[in-house]
Amino acid sequence: MQLLKDEKEQILACVAEVLKSNSKNREDLIPILQKIQAIIGYLPELAMAKIAEGLHVPAADVYGLATFYNQFRLNPPGKHQVKVCLGTACYMVGGTIVLESFERRMEIREGETSPDRLYSLERVACVGCCTMAPVAVVDEVVEGKVTPTRVDGIMLALNEANNQNAEKQKPEQDGGKA
Amino acid sequence: MSATDPRKIYTKLLAESKEKAGSRQDKPQILIGTATCGIAAGALQVRDDFIREIKEKGLEADVIEVGCMGHCYAEPLAVIAKPGFPPICYGHLDEGLVHRLVEDFLVGDDPSYEYALAALERNDVFPIFEDFPRGAYEKKLILENCGFIDALNIDSYLALEGYNALVEALIQEPAWVLEEIKVANLRGRGGAGFPAGLKWEVCLKSGGDEIYVICNADEGDPGAFMDRSILESDPHLVIEGMILCAYAVGAKKGYLYIRAEYPRAVKHVQVAIDQAREKGLLGSSILGTTFSFDLEIFQGAGAFVCGEATALVNSMEGKIGLPESRPPRLAQQGFRGKPTVLNNVKTFAYVPLIMKRGADWFKGIGTPESPGTAVFSLVGKIVNTGLVEVPMGTTLRQLIYDVGGGLPNGREFKAVQIGGPSGGCLPEAELDVPIDFDSLHDAGAIMGSGGLVVMDQDDCMVAVARYFLDFTQHESCGKCTFCRLGTRHMLDILTDITKGKGDRDTLDLLEELAEDVRDGSLCNLGRTAPNPVLTTLKYFHDEYRAHIEEGRCPALSCRDLILYYIDPPRCSKLCNVCVGSCPTEAIFTREDGLKEIDQEKCVKCDNCRKACPPEYSAVVKLSPPVLPSDKERKAK
Amino acid sequence: MSTSVTVTIDDRQIKARAGEKLLWVALENGIYIPHLCAIKEESRPNASCRLCFVEIEGVDRPVTSCTRPIEEGMVVKTRSLRVDRLVKTAFELILSDHNLKCRECPANRNCVLQAIAKERRIKLRYDRFKPIVREFALDDSPAEFAFDRSRCVLCGKCIRADREEAKIGAIGFARRGINRVVTTFKDLPLAESICTECMLCVDVCPVGALYYKKSQRQKKGNPLDYPGNKSSG
Repeated sequence: MQLLKDEKEQILACVAEVLKSNSKNREDLIPILQKIQAIIGYLPELAMAKIAEGLHVPAADVYGLATFYNQFRLNPPGKHQVKVCLGTACYMVGGTIVLESFERRMEIREGETSPDRLYSLERVACVGCCTMAPVAVVDEVVEGKVTPTRVDGIMLALNEANNQNAEKQKPEQDGGKA
Repeated sequence: MSATDPRKIYTKLLAESKEKAGSRQDKPQILIGTATCGIAAGALQVRDDFIREIKEKGLEADVIEVGCMGHCYAEPLAVIAKPGFPPICYGHLDEGLVHRLVEDFLVGDDPSYEYALAALERNDVFPIFEDFPRGAYEKKLILENCGFIDALNIDSYLALEGYNALVEALIQEPAWVLEEIKVANLRGRGGAGFPAGLKWEVCLKSGGDEIYVICNADEGDPGAFMDRSILESDPHLVIEGMILCAYAVGAKKGYLYIRAEYPRAVKHVQVAIDQAREKGLLGSSILGTTFSFDLEIFQGAGAFVCGEATALVNSMEGKIGLPESRPPRLAQQGFRGKPTVLNNVKTFAYVPLIMKRGADWFKGIGTPESPGTAVFSLVGKIVNTGLVEVPMGTTLRQLIYDVGGGLPNGREFKAVQIGGPSGGCLPEAELDVPIDFDSLHDAGAIMGSGGLVVMDQDDCMVAVARYFLDFTQHESCGKCTFCRLGTRHMLDILTDITKGKGDRDTLDLLEELAEDVRDGSLCNLGRTAPNPVLTTLKYFHDEYRAHIEEGRCPALSCRDLILYYIDPPRCSKLCNVCVGSCPTEAIFTREDGLKEIDQEKCVKCDNCRKACPPEYSAVVKLSPPVLPSDKERKAK
Repeated sequence: MSTSVTVTIDDRQIKARAGEKLLWVALENGIYIPHLCAIKEESRPNASCRLCFVEIEGVDRPVTSCTRPIEEGMVVKTRSLRVDRLVKTAFELILSDHNLKCRECPANRNCVLQAIAKERRIKLRYDRFKPIVREFALDDSPAEFAFDRSRCVLCGKCIRADREEAKIGAIGFARRGINRVVTTFKDLPLAESICTECMLCVDVCPVGALYYKKSQRQKKGNPLDYPGNKSSG
């Protein structure tokens, strides 16, 4: 993937910043990758190369690690991320049907991002909301008891939000305390 | 050991917290269950509704977020504690009900009992949870405070004499803590049931000045959420348990390894660690003594295999999370090559209780070989979904029917899956098996980390086995041959069977391979991965045979072996619900007004069957997938 | 001075250093045990290929000999019904993910898999398990050697050579489960990576995954060559 010049600078600045606040121990590799991804949204190759340099570990190892763990993404995610839970409870009551419904409406497969970068779709092993099965996590909001009809509703809402071209203004899941 | 008497500082902390708690009790408190599951059910909206209503009415009341009360079937939940009344728990809350409760109960004095689930303190007017049938079986030890204390406020835990066990221990020698845990025969709750005391002792004897204590909160079993609930709802209980362990083995540093998929648990634990440190309960010179211990969170990056101890340690060291062959055990050579105690969240949670109430008290609960309680997340086809805690030795039947309320809507029990991808499926005939580490193991399942999924006649056992193999295959680290390739071939064979492909040899090969993966894999994940296959082959053999011999899925679940059909005599003609429900426009109206499904377009999503009004129930599933018209033609 | 102990392997009494791993004691005394991933110098054995199972008297199930330190009086059988069954399954599983066009392979007649098959009388073909089909692009970017992942058995010996001997760090394991591979950073062709083409990795590859392009050049190490191996050559 080609990076624009300012994207490149942003990545370099971000890595420098994160490296500064860590001990540069190999033990910090996973926390560092987590921080980078939290800021940039994914792990650009450039970032991985710089981290490898900073921690004095082979870049091949950083790559091996980033491709091993589920959490890490090597490509930018879509603007809206949908995670469909396929834990036991969700699977038993049609989790795969929910996943397929999203695939049909987004016109992508699980693990992919739509070409317009609006959507990405993932399956997750369990989000721990088994009593609300089947569950999908739509931009950090947990949706319970999802049906194909509800998927259409969710997609409609997301499309509308996109059309209004509004900035991301999701209610924060962990809002302030009373 | 103590430089100053830890009781002095603690007494002050306790008094402060009680004073704060006391001042709170002058006005009504509304406790809202906002664990992850509660939020999914709309608890944050309920919280905001309460705050708004209270403000509008100009009332003085505290709205406090608490964790999970375990009654997930009735989310969103709240407890209203108004001076002069027992605290009362309400379920299924929505905006209307919140309005009504504020109006009638907070402004007025009518507790609206018709909407109440139960009271929390014994009183003359309304039953408490223990009065219900399930109360006879439930015994809440480590879940006792979950959902009733403010996890983000250490005073809430302190006011209930929290950290008192630590104070008692600090007055005594570390050896006393170890001895109590050994005598209590506390077995590890991560699944295998290894005695915690023995593990600690090995660690202590391995010696050195660098010893680590790690809490395994990498709860990855699909269908299990006990650890998440405890960390979100009562983090100090786990932290206190870890400090006690550190005191016993002489550790100075500990970690909580929490999966990154649990952001709320991470947040609550971090707040708890900070507050404990601030109060001098964590960090250097704990409670003024010479004992120092500090905690840090390590966020797992999403790999089921990291629940395995050696893989977890590798990932903490910045490496790929691959299991290692053992020995050496972690207690001898663990994190950074140093002796390490690694226990599950629940194991640590029992520790303060055992120290407070004594090993004999603990041994008085449960069975001699498996003392204490077992915590399960009940999910699937069961009325009272949620978290339950029962004494070891309770039978599965009691757990499912008496505590869980049985299956909903008169559904027929078929199997119960215990222990997630490492566990097994047990049939009706095995329901009288007592829940303890050894009995479950003998039945082919395992205690695992406590996921319990109830299945009914609509659940296909081949598909369930395939589901778990798909999971383990997906989560296999790929290091050893049996797990990397063996689970893949098992999955391929199972996928074929769900499509009706295969013969008797296929089942034999599947069983042989499952046994070899069990006997030959490097780590416990690989060794237990075949359990779902082996138990379903053992208890539901006929169901496997129906798939390959008749091309029929008895549960009408395997999508390659069923088709959807609208039964003409039952179709109302006038209603169009099914047509509208179809996401692929596969349903059309025939010239005679009846609806029909275009089998080419149908994706078998079940939407039309759910949509068809119950008085018609015209949409049916057929297996083998042959239309009645084709069947007739064939017969001719 | 380390103490020596006596163990019995296949009815032969053998004296060796206490703590030494069973696999190496057997091999050095001319008793063959199949193995792919074991590296004697590694303090913590990889134990990933699962081929070196043996039975030890008093232990209830077969154990991998590469991980088992010898103890005084240990009685070992390298063959038994249970051992043979596990080894056969593990071997067939490895074959199911291995390109079996031996005649086209530069390691033909110099391949550990062939040696094991011969010794254990297991046929070199897809039998109980269907081959796992996948696409690997051949990496022939280096000047003198190439890497064909369709033949790789993931033993990890090349990675060790790259790290411990060449001290480069060009290759490592990546991805997970069935998709696990030996690869470079970003999956670059070797010639575009930091690989120096020292070819130490080629010499240790026990199969034909890493090979010299010119067929006249032979790997320095014979994978079957160790003291006392009668079946080699």
